[in-house]
Amino acid sequence: MKKIFLLITSVFMLSFASNAAETLRILAEAGDEATITEAAAQFEAANPGVKIEANFLGWDDFMATIKLKMADNNPPDLAHGNQGFTVDGTLIQSGLVISLEKYADQYNWKKQFANGALSEFMWSDDGSTWGSGSLYGISPVAEDVIVYYNKDKLKSLGLSVPTRFSEFENALKVSKDAGELPIVLGGADGWPIIHVWGLVEGAYVNPEQTRSWIFDASNVQFDTPNRIKAANKLADMANAGYFGSDSLGVGYDDANAMFINGEGVFNLTGTWMTADFNSGMGDNVGAFAMPTWNGGVAGGGSFALPWHISSKSSNPDLAAKFLNHLMSNEFVDDLMGVGRVPAQAPTIDPTSNLQAEVIAASNALVGDNAKTFYTDWATPGMYDTVTQELQKVIGGVASAQDFIDAMAAESIN
Amino acid sequence: MTTKNIYRPQTKIDYSSYLYILPAFIFYILFVLFPLGDTLVTSFTEWNGISEKKWVGLENYSKNLSNKKIISSIKHSFILIIFYSFLPIIIGLLIAGIMIRVKIHGMATYRAILFLPQILSMIVVGISWRWIYAPKGPLNSGLDFFGLENVSRAWLGSFDFALPFVGLIGTWVMFGFTMILFIAGVQKIPSELYDAAKVDGAGAIAEFLNVTLPNLRGEIIVALIFTVTLALRNFDLIYITTGGGPGTSTMIPSMFIYKKAFQMNQVGSASSLGIMLTLLIFTLVSLILIILREKK
Repeated sequence: MKKIFLLITSVFMLSFASNAAETLRILAEAGDEATITEAAAQFEAANPGVKIEANFLGWDDFMATIKLKMADNNPPDLAHGNQGFTVDGTLIQSGLVISLEKYADQYNWKKQFANGALSEFMWSDDGSTWGSGSLYGISPVAEDVIVYYNKDKLKSLGLSVPTRFSEFENALKVSKDAGELPIVLGGADGWPIIHVWGLVEGAYVNPEQTRSWIFDASNVQFDTPNRIKAANKLADMANAGYFGSDSLGVGYDDANAMFINGEGVFNLTGTWMTADFNSGMGDNVGAFAMPTWNGGVAGGGSFALPWHISSKSSNPDLAAKFLNHLMSNEFVDDLMGVGRVPAQAPTIDPTSNLQAEVIAASNALVGDNAKTFYTDWATPGMYDTVTQELQKVIGGVASAQDFIDAMAAESIN
Repeated sequence: MTTKNIYRPQTKIDYSSYLYILPAFIFYILFVLFPLGDTLVTSFTEWNGISEKKWVGLENYSKNLSNKKIISSIKHSFILIIFYSFLPIIIGLLIAGIMIRVKIHGMATYRAILFLPQILSMIVVGISWRWIYAPKGPLNSGLDFFGLENVSRAWLGSFDFALPFVGLIGTWVMFGFTMILFIAGVQKIPSELYDAAKVDGAGAIAEFLNVTLPNLRGEIIVALIFTVTLALRNFDLIYITTGGGPGTSTMIPSMFIYKKAFQMNQVGSASSLGIMLTLLIFTLVSLILIILREKK
């Protein structure tokens, strides 16, 4: 009995003690675990008395529960959202997250980036319009969709890095004719095809046009001539067998494993894969930004998931201070260290050839203002529509026009 | 049959007996009836999960009925009934029928092995079969070994084959259950009936059709209700293996419910689809009971 009493008292006192310090509660998508663990250790060391409690959830679980967790009476102080009406829009409409304008001014976040670069985090205060207004989220990490390639294969095929989309198409044809799998694609998961579509779309459609459609899909035309041309290109690529015959039966992770094991000439995916490719392929992997039809660059991509501060947080200033640590110049190099691509220019040299090429590709996209986000951001139902319709195009059971029609219908839905 | 009711008919209801079921009943109200009622109310509203619910009447239902993708997903469910229900029942009956005629040494071991899929988690089953069906998985390797390279393909990535091949996983999972059910049923059939059949000169098939099958009516009804319900409300197997794809070729209503509630912010619409699915299952189960009821 005495022991139990002691135990209860000590537990009570311990919890009291930890409440006495300032605690910052964070809920993050698992992709940022290394980043947050690193940043939390630094922040706790620099701010005695502050304790950071970070929890991580895998993508599916995170996205399925984040809105409910933020609506809870005791939500995390700082949490990821997701660009678009489905998550960010709902959080803002319901008043669950606060505007970061005050902190952006205090910490000069906006000056770190080009004008308009943060538009994916900007919302009207009622959460009804997206792409302009107040800053509701921020992220220190860039995620771009680029082209990774197997250097040995490209060389042995007598090809060089393409500088126009037509050259890329030619490289696919040469690869196919030589019996290679031109593009490795994990189409069973659906969403990796969005990345492929983003690059092909970007090769023909003005990025400004695509972004404005994503921000306001019901009022901006989807089925423009250039986009129809891009859809036809994608269908042609599928019909020519450039994705192989089994891509819809291969998951994303398996596709990347195939690529690392030397299958496939090109892999059209996001910069979050850089560290894995680097460790798996060493110097045999390169990267470039997809060239457009007229020699510019095209890319899906955006900032990584936005950080939001809960409107119920008891200490939003502390949350913002931690956020500023993530956004700071000092942390940029640490981001590189954990394998992420910082949105700001790093001060240290890239640690590998691949990282140098990835950063060059990323810079080219930023320079051309060519990031076009992700198609599925446009409407809450768009993820389903675009993945299903793209699978049909890749599988050859739907035409480019079917895809365009279904997408246009979902846009105004 | 001349079984007598050994219990005397009760004329007075002893209300104190309800106290015994009270704890379970409270749980039933809390975790079944209340959520069901809440879902029903939500199904008449537009709700994103955290905002105020907005009453929209029957709009969610009419939208569901005019949604071609939802209608086709219900068709997929009916195709899955063939694989989740009819095939396992036929296989289970065959095994039970054979068991009567042939005494196999170590049958208990075989029975346990055949029942194994039933006790595995659907997640484990789904991941294992995804590997078996993979482009370079064992199934295709086997086909290639026999020179059938033209047949091998990415089964779950095929618009033509994904649905039946997911269905076959269901067959594999369910036939252990039907088999155990029917074997138990066969054992309670009086052996005199089989002796009589033998005297009348019935062969294996006649014996199966005239003795085994009619006496398994109760077990067949149970198996049908259980497997048809599973085919219609199945979620995990599809979610793990295909996610409804490629395209919408393996999409089923429960996937829509999940996507609407957790991806598209349409909790009201998801609820209405849930209610519709419940009604559909209820109707089918009632039909099975009515059609197969023992005629008096």
